[in-house]
Amino acid sequence: MIPATARTHPAFAYLRAHRGRPATWSDRYTSVFGLLVAAAVLGRPVAEALAGLARHADPARLGAGLALVAAAYAGFLALARAFGPVMLPAADAAWLVTSPLPRRAVLSRTALLLLSAAVLAGAALGLAALSVFGAPGELGVRLAAALALGVAAGVGGMATAVLGQQSPAADTRLQFLIAGMFSVAVLAAVSGSGPGRRILAAVAEAPASLGAAVAGVASVVAAFLARRAWAALDRIPARRILASSTRTARVTSAATMLDPGMLTWVAEDVHWRGRALRSRPWPRLVSRLGPAAALAWQEWLRVGRRPGRLAALFGVAALPAVCADAVGGSAPAAGVLLCGALTAAAMCTGGARRDGGDPALARMLAVDGRAATAARAVLPALLAAAWSALALAGLQAAGALPAGAWWALGPAAAPALAAGALRMARRRPVDHSMPVIDTPGGAVPTGPLIWAATGPDVALLGSLPALAALVTRPADVVPYVAAQAVAGAAVLAAFVLRSVRRARE
Amino acid sequence: MANAIITARGVGLDLGGVPVLRGVDLTAAPGEIVAVMGENGVGKSTLLRCLAGLHPSPRGEIDVLGGPPADLPDFWRHVVQAGDEPAWYPGLSVREHLELMEAVHRDARLTVGEALETFELTARADLAPLSLSTGQRQRLSLAMALLRPSRLLLLDEPERGLDAGFRRRLAAILRGYAAAGGTVVMATHDALLARDTAARVITLRAAS
Repeated sequence: MIPATARTHPAFAYLRAHRGRPATWSDRYTSVFGLLVAAAVLGRPVAEALAGLARHADPARLGAGLALVAAAYAGFLALARAFGPVMLPAADAAWLVTSPLPRRAVLSRTALLLLSAAVLAGAALGLAALSVFGAPGELGVRLAAALALGVAAGVGGMATAVLGQQSPAADTRLQFLIAGMFSVAVLAAVSGSGPGRRILAAVAEAPASLGAAVAGVASVVAAFLARRAWAALDRIPARRILASSTRTARVTSAATMLDPGMLTWVAEDVHWRGRALRSRPWPRLVSRLGPAAALAWQEWLRVGRRPGRLAALFGVAALPAVCADAVGGSAPAAGVLLCGALTAAAMCTGGARRDGGDPALARMLAVDGRAATAARAVLPALLAAAWSALALAGLQAAGALPAGAWWALGPAAAPALAAGALRMARRRPVDHSMPVIDTPGGAVPTGPLIWAATGPDVALLGSLPALAALVTRPADVVPYVAAQAVAGAAVLAAFVLRSVRRARE
Repeated sequence: MANAIITARGVGLDLGGVPVLRGVDLTAAPGEIVAVMGENGVGKSTLLRCLAGLHPSPRGEIDVLGGPPADLPDFWRHVVQAGDEPAWYPGLSVREHLELMEAVHRDARLTVGEALETFELTARADLAPLSLSTGQRQRLSLAMALLRPSRLLLLDEPERGLDAGFRRRLAAILRGYAAAGGTVVMATHDALLARDTAARVITLRAAS
């Protein structure tokens, strides 16, 4: 508990008095009315969705479903860790954290917000898990147990993240938890359709009382962790809160200015700040290949410096197969495949992105635009080729594709994916002066739309033969591979020929 | 001037309807250092951007290295612009930025080791530029600019963030560059730097 003297400190009274106007009756009426309207609109669909849970689980999709839930939980933990999670608005962080005010009192509002976020995320995870395992009987008990288990996981995970911010040892434990959840996701995806299916089916058929007992134990553990996190708030070093607050302020600024490109810069700066690097000379062979190859070599260095990210990238190459297993049909898997391969290519375009945002170094290096683009396309194409070949092999192994050299579609599409990734890296910030189009579905701002489509458009266009093959699943894939190879090479060639560095004002 | 590196006559520019430059003349010969001085907002940086071809259509006549300046690789192979906001690539160390510059420009003026020593960055060679102080980042930017070969240096407030001791060293480095035949045009607020480089001073006045 916060001591009464801390709550009544004159500084807090001053801040309360100067932070906006107090809520009026009109504000309260609007809030309550909004909640009632939301309940009226959402009540029926939610009730129908909950009633739809009263069914037996589909054993074929248990593994993939559980994999997606575990991956989502790991993502939740990773996000909490990346953001802090304890942070304050920039002004509060600068003035209050470094003041002699009781730290826990300063952070109590943040703690309440984190708890709310954890409860909501946990409840969503619990419902997702219940939709995977189904509720063959006693829907009420199973629903309550799933919600309790999800909320306990959410609150416990958030508390672990707060503890991780306080001490490096706890942060290591949090990283193990995140890695463990990703491993569970991979294990469930791999073994869910094989040896693990029987175990998962047994879990789905377990009595509701067992689920309630597990939820009870989880709630006790979560409450214990939350109590420790609450106590730790007083001991979180000010520099960690300041760092996470600055990071969040930049991310918020990027979000409010609707400039998602800034987020990549924030992430890169956060990763490299304060790191000592082992400098390596430029290989003679690369220098002999010319200025463009020397310029592009930096991407190889960067990729080599983040082996964890590379391993994670190839780890998620199983995602299209998991998606095909969980959702059924090849169209969603093809979409995931295209997104994943484009992400793989975009992972090594940091230099082009920097030159697009600030061309000062590009001018100093004075490398010919076309030669630089061609040299910079090599690594993204190689990564996209390897990732998509692996993902296609996974799809074939999962039985989503017939026999044949389907993996070859990946390398054939890779040049087009590299062109798309480089186009993404060079796109300018969102142009908010673009017109807003009124449609029956609401107003559509074209600026963000065009920004989001710049890059994926070229990748999609250049990958059409591969996507057509994945959707139609022909008996002989070779003609599609040939068409894809021609399309991929043509798109990259056209992109390189058109690439002339633009002067920026 | 028959062999001038820069000839600018009657340069004028309006930004958003506000006159920023009006009737500016500037010439610079090989081996010469020109310091453009004046109060904040008189258009020193804008003049440098005009000389670099970064403003699309200034009034007057600008000739750099025998032709109008253009933001193209061919132009930048002879001209270096530095000192505005230092730029760097993520995930590369200080030494690797210099290695990159040396690998791209094979006939570099300095070796990487010499550049690190000259710009007092040896102890910071393995750090990412983001971990450096403002002055150290400025030194890295200048080191990259002076490592590569060029005929013309356009420096926008090169003294920004540098301590007094290094400003004197920078003056010596620029004098050496000019003695080797290079031309320097720098916008600066530092009269001592202008004096120590033996620069010809051009003082701009507000256009409006």
